[in-house]
Amino acid sequence: MEIWRVNLRTGSLQRGPVPEAWDRLGGRGLLARILLDEVPPACEPLGPSNRLVFAPGLLVGHMLSSCDRISIGAKSPMTRGIKEANAGGTTGLQMACLGIRALILEDLVPSPSHVRTDWRVLHLGPEGARLDPAGDLAGLGVFAAAERLRARYGDQVAISLIGPGGEMRLVAAGIQNLDKERVPSRIAARGGLGAVMGAKGLKAVVFDAAGGSRPPLADPEAFQAARKLFTRNVLEHPQSGLYRDYGTAAMGAMTNAMGALPTRAFASGQFEAVDAISGERLREVMLARGGDGTPTHACMPGCAIRCSNNYAGADGRSLVTPLEYETIGLMGSNLGLSDLDQIARLNWEVNDLGLDAIDLGAALGVAAQAGLLAFGDGDRALALLREIRQGTPLGLVLGHGAAVAGKVLGVIRVPVVKGQAMSAYEPRAIKGTGVTFATSPQGADHTAGNTVRAQVDHLDPKLQAALSRTAQINMAGYDTLGACIFAGSGFSVAPEVIPGLLNARYGWEVGLDILQLLGRETLRLEREFNRRAGFTAVDDRMPEWMTLEPLPPNNAVFDVPDADLDGVFDW
Amino acid sequence: MRVHLHTSLQRPGPAGPVRRLEVDLPAHGTLADLLAMLDLRPDPKGLLLVVNGRTAGPERVLAQGDEVHLIPAISGG
Repeated sequence: MEIWRVNLRTGSLQRGPVPEAWDRLGGRGLLARILLDEVPPACEPLGPSNRLVFAPGLLVGHMLSSCDRISIGAKSPMTRGIKEANAGGTTGLQMACLGIRALILEDLVPSPSHVRTDWRVLHLGPEGARLDPAGDLAGLGVFAAAERLRARYGDQVAISLIGPGGEMRLVAAGIQNLDKERVPSRIAARGGLGAVMGAKGLKAVVFDAAGGSRPPLADPEAFQAARKLFTRNVLEHPQSGLYRDYGTAAMGAMTNAMGALPTRAFASGQFEAVDAISGERLREVMLARGGDGTPTHACMPGCAIRCSNNYAGADGRSLVTPLEYETIGLMGSNLGLSDLDQIARLNWEVNDLGLDAIDLGAALGVAAQAGLLAFGDGDRALALLREIRQGTPLGLVLGHGAAVAGKVLGVIRVPVVKGQAMSAYEPRAIKGTGVTFATSPQGADHTAGNTVRAQVDHLDPKLQAALSRTAQINMAGYDTLGACIFAGSGFSVAPEVIPGLLNARYGWEVGLDILQLLGRETLRLEREFNRRAGFTAVDDRMPEWMTLEPLPPNNAVFDVPDADLDGVFDW
Repeated sequence: MRVHLHTSLQRPGPAGPVRRLEVDLPAHGTLADLLAMLDLRPDPKGLLLVVNGRTAGPERVLAQGDEVHLIPAISGG
């Protein structure tokens, strides 16, 4: 496989072998290595020195269940530290079939005016790279833009694209990828990577592997044997059935029971209308309405879990796909909203704008605290989101996410760490996930190490740093493999599967500890980037108000000692 | 006490899925006793047990008025 570099100023493409120091990394780990090696940590994230990097994980390219994820990274304009966000869909698979271990996008052409109109599409195929003019896509929402790109480039390509949010360089903008039905719903959402892509003048990257083939296997028989065991373990794990039937939305009733469902701008951990937004309710509605709706959907070809869904309105037409727990939490209970149709419409709107639903839900919670929105008023919430598209000053403030909204609107109860919004796990009630929010080099992000499933007392501060450490290492490892967290059920019951797959794929001789080795190395590189960017222990702290304000119903504050936070990465 | 059954633990009933049960346990009964009484399938080892908003182990003694959640755990959203 190769490293492809495209200089967006000159349009040149360089293809070369994977340097030895990068060879045993993929996905998030490889991004960390590349960013540390090539991006000045103090650079302006929206300037010419930042690089936008796409890297499929080490196991991507073989349609292993839940293991074809694409990692996208850069210096974040939101956290101003290192950033990786990953997504399902088809981008990782197409990149691997093109033989690309990492795509590095360098430099930019400065915009001739504040509002750029000279958008371009980067087309990558077996013959090389080409920059096509795409001024006609300026201002188009993600869904209309994707349709036009599919008409232009065909239905067999993968596409990564931005919406108006990325064009406006809003720091809550993500990069969207096509799912297997070619809907641009798989979002590398967090930390403002869409703004980096927008600053580089790219509306989309098209990956066209026509004529390409899957990556080679060093030992095809051993790979098939490991695949068989892995798939069986995934299918037999009870958690897979829960995701298939209820999706991630099953989490709502679980966190509510634990007093950890963010409610009315993180003022309570329980929502009185939780039944109306539960996984059970979501499933009932989707099955009753039929039409486009389905509670079971695979975002990647070959996924055996199929946790995704398609949520249809009363007329049977899709309102949004997928509708996930995080959005239900941040745009539902967090806003006092219990109408799934309203939540779905808010979700579609941010998807079409190309923005992160978590940060936008948190920003709307900030707006509610500032008196701009009444809790429970879904129509007003939608009107505020539409102001982003119109580019009004208030719309721009909200489009930059919760941290900026808090600063501008004078609200200090803002659920962010390193400028990035917390997802729907109240850190005062699930303190291990709180430790992850505080200390992850990525900023507040449950996918960096969620501890909610652990059978421990989540309110006891003493247990949490060790729990978070283990979860963060494992997740950094999975993100380096290109594996979805839900594939963990298939890996955890048979530790020999991961080394078996890697050794059969690459001809390596890695051992049972490879997941932890990859995870630790990734975290080490990410923390080093942040250190050079000026981060200190002070950046690894929970917002002070969460250490002071008791959270009903457990009346808990975040009280994990600073010394424990500082020791998370001492292993 | 009130027992909340989550997702796959819910059983069909005449008025839709049964999501909540009112249960009387003998004095000093534990979560393990409750699980045995309910004869849950699948295996309760994969359950997250929450009593009055706090995760608890099977040895936890239950009292009248407790709110018990039996949750087939998932690991994230």
